[in-house]
Amino acid sequence: MNLKENNFNENVVNVDVLVIGGGSAGTMAALSARRQGLDVALVDKAGIDRSGCGAAGNDHFLAVLDTGPDWDTPEAFITWYHRLTQGLVDMNIPPKIYLSRIKNLLKYLEDLGVPMREDKENDAYIRTGSFGQPGEYFINFDGRNLKPTISKEAKKIGVKFFRKINIVDLLVNETGVIGAVGFDIRKGDFYVFLAKATIVATGNVTRFYNNQAGMPYNSWHSPYNNGGAQAMAFRAGAEIKNMEFVNYTLTPVNFSASALNAIVGMGGYIVNGLGERFLFKHHEKGEKGPRWIMPWGVYWELKEGRGPCYFDLRHLSEEDLDHLINNLLPVDKNTFLDYCEQKGVDVRNDLMEVQISEGQLPAFLGSVSGINITPECETTIPGLYAGGACTVAVGSLSGSMCVGDTAGEEAAKYVINGGGGRLEVSPDIVEGIKKSIYKYLSKESGFKPCELEEKLRQVMTLYVGIGRSKMGLETALAELDKLAQLLITAKTENLHELMRLFEFRDLLEVSKAVVRGALEREESRFGISHYRGDFPESSKEWHCSLHQKLQDGQVVFKRVEPYNL
Amino acid sequence: MAILIDEKLCNGCGLCDVNCPGDLIFMDEETRKPKVLYPEECWYCGACRMDCPKDCIKIVFPLTSL
Repeated sequence: MNLKENNFNENVVNVDVLVIGGGSAGTMAALSARRQGLDVALVDKAGIDRSGCGAAGNDHFLAVLDTGPDWDTPEAFITWYHRLTQGLVDMNIPPKIYLSRIKNLLKYLEDLGVPMREDKENDAYIRTGSFGQPGEYFINFDGRNLKPTISKEAKKIGVKFFRKINIVDLLVNETGVIGAVGFDIRKGDFYVFLAKATIVATGNVTRFYNNQAGMPYNSWHSPYNNGGAQAMAFRAGAEIKNMEFVNYTLTPVNFSASALNAIVGMGGYIVNGLGERFLFKHHEKGEKGPRWIMPWGVYWELKEGRGPCYFDLRHLSEEDLDHLINNLLPVDKNTFLDYCEQKGVDVRNDLMEVQISEGQLPAFLGSVSGINITPECETTIPGLYAGGACTVAVGSLSGSMCVGDTAGEEAAKYVINGGGGRLEVSPDIVEGIKKSIYKYLSKESGFKPCELEEKLRQVMTLYVGIGRSKMGLETALAELDKLAQLLITAKTENLHELMRLFEFRDLLEVSKAVVRGALEREESRFGISHYRGDFPESSKEWHCSLHQKLQDGQVVFKRVEPYNL
Repeated sequence: MAILIDEKLCNGCGLCDVNCPGDLIFMDEETRKPKVLYPEECWYCGACRMDCPKDCIKIVFPLTSL
């Protein structure tokens, strides 16, 4: 194949509903739209069977089950969730999108054979609580085969799979969003999808901050989630909100693996280099407090010379340690025990050193950043819906799946009721887009995407990381503008690099939104998520959501009052 | 490094290529065996080995991540 000649096939696919992103949320969206009898395409740059953050598993499933205690009710959940998100999530969303669906979702997965009952003896759920929950909302489960299981169901009921297709942008005309364009990352073929409703569900945003190991793909959540949904929606004119709140967690040192929920959920401690538990200085619940308290606490211990910090599990009972080591850690991160073995750490008897992870935009419970949606998963652009971790709704795996389910159902309703724009786009426009994609393969000189991305991470880590100031953020904006110029003349040598280039383009778009938001928001909130040294306190005036959208090529900000219960 | 595949045990089924969420593993047209082309882009998620019918994939962490 001579890539420089750009001699690729062109495919036009017409469907009722297009779902971009084949992770857990996108697959749920495709399933629910297909169940309404519609023609549905599910597109992902990976293989779908194991795409997304849940590719290799997950061990905790957020569920409110009404089993008797006060905390296990929708009312208690809402009260807590409102406090956790400080009112920056639309409180009409959790009841409609999450609480009304979660029991059905759990039953559906159990019917499909996903092992949810870790207490095999009593055929019962094991539930643990963490991150400030009023009770034990996380069912500990074996989610290693959840993703292939629901993928198989989607295939079975007739969802059309488009694997290894990288979507580059949405197609927009005067009637709204009418589909998307992309290319096959293995064959190079160009794809035009035309759809009455389009759902973006590409998850969170990673790979735009450095981590301690200097390995950008060694990230907390999937490094292949690069903000495609947020960037594409924003370019199409949709509103995104609270992008300045970058999220951090604690992970094992030099290995950005999910583990924190399992560890604090089981009662693990976090201690400093002096062996002291220190989180109570920052929150009355200590290790059981909200997630952001933990990196915030570790940040100050390290800064004030009391590092390194550690997970301490030595006080746990044998039974709890067995559960943690057999059922949780290697289920949430399949390679967790390989890391321990190769590093020479014995989880039962040794302290396990921790680090503050690289920053990322959300995917966990309590995050408030992403695409602004209604309780019907509509964005602010006709024909465009959003589901999963790219939205501001309810996070974590089960939350994202419920949001995906809602997006599919509502998009189907829209189509069935006659919704959908004029599915026409002029051949000239399509040809122009096609050229703008493949031109990078013909370049003889210019930076490669990995070089541009490396620079992006340097800028974001240096100026938009933990501790921010006006001067630093303005410097970041100027540096990101330079990168935008360099992108125009970038070169790629193969289709894999071409995919990475478009990932970089979306990362740059999201990064600019983060910086703009951080500059605008003259206060600090959610610990190191957004800590302005020049405005170190949370302010009443800024207790609001900050929305951004593109209008006539200009960024327009809007402040939205917090939601009350 | 990152993903070590034992070619002698591998049956060339290609599931690791299909499952890798990062587009890192490619089937070699001649040998019909998988090749890891971009090990530095590995998430260390283990998706490549989970469904491997021959259990012939080992995940090896680089020194800086240990």
